[in-house]
Amino acid sequence: MKEILTFVLAIVSAMLIDNVVLSRFYGICPFLGVSKKVKSALGMGIAVVFVIVLATVICWPLYNYILVPAGIEFMDTVAYILVIASLVQLVGLFIKKHSPSLYKTLGIYLPLITTNCAVLGVAQGNTDQALSFIDSLANGLGTSLGFLFVIVVFSCIRVRLESANTPKALKGLPIALITAAIMAMAFMGLQGLFSGIV
Amino acid sequence: MPKEGYLVLAISILVALVIVFVVSFVLYKRTPVPKGCENLKVNEENCSMCGHEECPHYVKKEEEK
Repeated sequence: MKEILTFVLAIVSAMLIDNVVLSRFYGICPFLGVSKKVKSALGMGIAVVFVIVLATVICWPLYNYILVPAGIEFMDTVAYILVIASLVQLVGLFIKKHSPSLYKTLGIYLPLITTNCAVLGVAQGNTDQALSFIDSLANGLGTSLGFLFVIVVFSCIRVRLESANTPKALKGLPIALITAAIMAMAFMGLQGLFSGIV
Repeated sequence: MPKEGYLVLAISILVALVIVFVVSFVLYKRTPVPKGCENLKVNEENCSMCGHEECPHYVKKEEEK
């Protein structure tokens, strides 16, 4: 029971308290670029969740069972980039071939995931913190769900800002950056949420 | 297994990953676009933040130049 609670808390912690976008500033490119419309933000978020979780599942054994015993741990970044790039291509290929409706939603955003440093950041972070497989999975799942949550919320705010009476000098990206900063401050308020539980 | 064995295995896996990437890239390019998805519209007008050459935003910006 305690293991399940720890797993769930690790996911929520990575999702809200240590949010990948608002506290670590990874994945800012899609966060700002693909958040003008809710539908595209949702599509991008779901694709990122899929790739981060799969990359975590592949990268952890690759590092711990292949690179470390071989004594070439320094090749981890190269290996992770190869895994992520291949994974994105394979996912794109599968969607293109078997799910036209999903391709219509995600197709144009899939190649962007390769350049999303949140994906590499999670794999690298799992290695640096020497997490176990379950902890890595929780970290990957929480981080990616945090990205999905934040990008969708941010896109909803941006849609509302489109019709707001924003000063001309702040229209577009400036007001988006101010909004992101306020969101980051709001998420800072969640720190210490689980301090009494674990 | 001796360390040399792991080293050979690691290098083989890295080479295999490169091959998987190249093959999947070629297959992705050769796979026909599904019906109805030929001209997917770009929702955003102004995004060119990451400069990724595969991104339709980037391609659109380049065409405009």
